[in-house]
Amino acid sequence: MKFSRKDFLKASAGMAAFAAIPGKSAFASSTVADINVPKPVSNGKPKRGISLYSYKNDLYTSMTLEDCLADMSSMGAYGLEILANGHVKDYPNPTDEWVEYWYSLLNKYSIIPVEYGHWVDSRLHEGRELTTKESYDSLVRDIKVAHKLGFTVMRTKLGVIDEKLTPVKNWQEFIKMALPVAQEHNVVMCPEIHQPTALKSEMVDEYVEFIEKNNTKNFGLNIDFGVFQSKENMMRIPGIEIEPSKPEDLIPLIPYIYCCHAKFANMTDDLVEETHPYEEIIKVLVDQKYDGYMMSEYEGDDHNEIPGYVPDQLRRQHLMMKRYLGEV
Amino acid sequence: MLEKQNIQSRDFKNVLEGGEIVGFQIPFRATYYRGLWLTQLRPATVTVDGEKFEGNQITWTINGKKYEQVELANYPDVNWNIQDLAIFTVRKPGGLKLGLHDIEVQFHFSASYLPPRMDTGLFQNTFNRRLVLIG
Repeated sequence: MKFSRKDFLKASAGMAAFAAIPGKSAFASSTVADINVPKPVSNGKPKRGISLYSYKNDLYTSMTLEDCLADMSSMGAYGLEILANGHVKDYPNPTDEWVEYWYSLLNKYSIIPVEYGHWVDSRLHEGRELTTKESYDSLVRDIKVAHKLGFTVMRTKLGVIDEKLTPVKNWQEFIKMALPVAQEHNVVMCPEIHQPTALKSEMVDEYVEFIEKNNTKNFGLNIDFGVFQSKENMMRIPGIEIEPSKPEDLIPLIPYIYCCHAKFANMTDDLVEETHPYEEIIKVLVDQKYDGYMMSEYEGDDHNEIPGYVPDQLRRQHLMMKRYLGEV
Repeated sequence: MLEKQNIQSRDFKNVLEGGEIVGFQIPFRATYYRGLWLTQLRPATVTVDGEKFEGNQITWTINGKKYEQVELANYPDVNWNIQDLAIFTVRKPGGLKLGLHDIEVQFHFSASYLPPRMDTGLFQNTFNRRLVLIG
């Protein structure tokens, strides 16, 4: 049978209405009130977590979602980042049964849903950019899924228009439109500051200005530690001069940072990471009483042929971070 | 769980329709780190033992629903999750002979967070595997 787009939308709407019939499921699709939703810890200190991105070589081939959460828990890395359209079954419409399973896993392993990675795919349609309304609709869809799964921070990846990763021109319009929806669902949308962008840059200034102008707690920053990577290890882009940021450049941004990506490439047998200044970064975050999570993001050699290679790298990194945090 | 390789061996088989072998199918997983909206996909080509198939010779089946390649651009709300396989069904009357085959799958996808110059060009787009067809 041929299925037109219109038929598809009609069928989807029908399914949604069915799912909303009261008493049809123990889990009401619009609320998470009756289940225990683990909340982020707020103690005035940086905390450890892991982005499931790190497990990409093992997840679904040698490890299940449950294996990954168990692995994190065993490292005391309780903060979780997911990438919604890789890790949420049936995204963007997870079933009630899956959502129940999700919370059962989080509670079983004491995992806290912190950051929800998602994209506003500006080039979703070949040959044209998304309109402001389409971008807004995409944001709203993800805000609702993030909230349903208990997340409070969103890593909102915007489409870019050039080599410097300048976001699409209408970003302020659709983000502003989505602020009330984000507030209603208790989430903060955070673009990721990632090399080649520096912390001291026009782009970051523009984000901060937007936050101040709108006096909002629903838009902030995610800092990827790759911005501190040693120059010789940074990506090379023809015509673009990249300078590593300094850990102290974080200080004026602390009020706007809701999550960090603890990017790393290789943990040595001496348990150090030689291309990112972890000791200095963590010292700044501790001194400034940064109250968010650092999500491990492994981006070294794949070693796809060795199952469990990255979990070992993660363990090494977490012992290093425990030391710098004064946990051991 | 899924096999490490992109091209999966389980359910690599000839396809029967009304008692006739009308082609063959190749289950495939994306090793990208996130799922893709169908509109982000670009048409695939499949090459088996040097014979190339493309365009309307190939359909994609995702979560049980079949799409002609030209239809992919109509589904911005349907996501191909990395947990799920896409099954390429290739039209070839008589199908493939039993035994070993060298398979190549090629496709591209759009990534808006990369500079426009790299939109469909940064990630691996050619995948090879030698598989045995047993039926």
